Amino acid sequence: MSKALIIDDEQQMRRLLRMVLESRGYEVCEAADGQLGLQEAAFQRPDVVLLDLGLPGLGGIDVLKRLREWTDVPVLILSVRDQETVKVEALELGADDYVTKPFGTAELLARLDVIQRRRFTRQSPEIIAGALKLDLLHHEATLADEPVKLTPTEFALLKVLAEHAGRIVTQNQILKQVWAGQSSDPSEGLRVHINHLRKKLGESGPRIVNEPGIGYRLEA
Amino acid sequence: MNDQPSSPKPREPVPVAVVGQFSWGLTILFVLASTCWVLLPYTGYLFSALVFLMAIVLAGTRWNRGPVLAMGVVSALVWNFIFIPPQFTLHIEKPQDIIMFAMFFVVALSMGHLITRLREREAALEQHHREREDLLAEKHRAELLAESERLHRTLLDSVSHELKTPIAIIRTALDGLGQGNAFAAEIETANRRLQRIVENFLEMTRVDSEALKPRPDWCEISDVLHAATTPLQKELSQHPLRLHGTDDLPLMMLDSRLLAQVLGNVLHNATLYAPAGTEIEIHAALTNGRLELRVRDHGPGLPMGTEDHVFDKFYRAPDSPAGGTGLGLAIARGLMRAMKGDIEAHNHPKGGAEFVLSLPVKTRQP
Repeated sequence: MSKALIIDDEQQMRRLLRMVLESRGYEVCEAADGQLGLQEAAFQRPDVVLLDLGLPGLGGIDVLKRLREWTDVPVLILSVRDQETVKVEALELGADDYVTKPFGTAELLARLDVIQRRRFTRQSPEIIAGALKLDLLHHEATLADEPVKLTPTEFALLKVLAEHAGRIVTQNQILKQVWAGQSSDPSEGLRVHINHLRKKLGESGPRIVNEPGIGYRLEA
Repeated sequence: MNDQPSSPKPREPVPVAVVGQFSWGLTILFVLASTCWVLLPYTGYLFSALVFLMAIVLAGTRWNRGPVLAMGVVSALVWNFIFIPPQFTLHIEKPQDIIMFAMFFVVALSMGHLITRLREREAALEQHHREREDLLAEKHRAELLAESERLHRTLLDSVSHELKTPIAIIRTALDGLGQGNAFAAEIETANRRLQRIVENFLEMTRVDSEALKPRPDWCEISDVLHAATTPLQKELSQHPLRLHGTDDLPLMMLDSRLLAQVLGNVLHNATLYAPAGTEIEIHAALTNGRLELRVRDHGPGLPMGTEDHVFDKFYRAPDSPAGGTGLGLAIARGLMRAMKGDIEAHNHPKGGAEFVLSLPVKTRQP
């Protein structure tokens, strides 16, 4: 049974989230502000944290920074702000994904499931995302057992996306891992390769969804 | 006259005022010399020296250095020539007169020099002071502006939080009720409408306050279309989208989030007015570095004469269906203009309304 910590200043929101999560078998603890949230996180050791960005006092971004000083517990950002920069900041500070209020329960639960799948505990040299399989040993990709021919850059790009399958990856995170400052206009190269990848993955394969101003999500 | 520059730039012609000062100086000296000449028998020749000095000092308080120094030189010579015995020669007989003449020369020149320099410094100081004050005022204004912007944003954020939180709670609670409840479905429809109104109001405020900074990046039109249509899935289920020319577009440099929002608003508007089941067409083209997106519906079209009013804030066409705020298109125009583009509306010759979005873009062939 997973334990979820809700850090949100709205009591009604906490109550509702508790109901939703408990109906899904989560054990739930709550905190009404950032300071309490940090204490609860240390004391309860949750498996996943739902963090509201618009907290009074110690803000959501600060709570996230403090959390990341000692734990890599998956964090889902709850935000009513639609400013992309804040979300990108949170994601690059180590938040795992976000939902924008008002969100659907199904979306929330799906995101929670995805971010709780352990991230980098790869035991085999294979990444599987739906019908897509990446063989890291031979740098080969197969889609529904059909080989897909990829250039080294495309493979590296798809690897980053597949490692985070179902989760948002910010543009900067992709650029850092795939390009690492080699190109003068990496954003342009990124679009070009995403375009090629989409064509190679075809209509039936996993979709690479762009979230404007934020990044990409591989939906397998 | 006080504002004469202390050191005129060499290529500039001598200002008219300075020429005037020279002639005035000579005139005054002439008048004073004549008066002293008349009074000479009663006053002695030392009196005229003091009169000249006074004139130089007074001139120094008003005039430029050049004319004042010239007055000093001329008056010394005039005093020597006319008043110091023997008169009407530049020759001086008595040793004390020679000393006095030299003293007069030195005093006249240094007085003239000192006083004009004092004035110049005063003027420079004043100017410096003024510049400083202007600078301070400028800084203060900038600070106020930044502060008011910050306040505005904080207010907007907090209003946004306050308004959206209840909507979010209703949404989550409705999801908890589950599907199939007709009453819940009505609440959900109303809640969606409320959400759109709140978002439109907030966005309009943002557009109005010019707090909106486009952040262009390379993007594909398919990403813009995806972002624009995803929130409208329910509305668009009644209206098949037909795309023309979108596959032929290269990568473009634009703010895809803003363009998606504009397109979303225009599409939503089309779904409101066109009868269910009718198609919505999007024609995309790139000409002369401008992206043009034409969104055409197969509805009744715009009422005559309202082609431009539809972009007015709170404007709602007569017989509009309920559910709009009259802000969607105003926001669309605001956003397009923030991106240095524009949006126009007209009726398609074969019926239906057509909205034309155009904006300058940098492109790259894929």
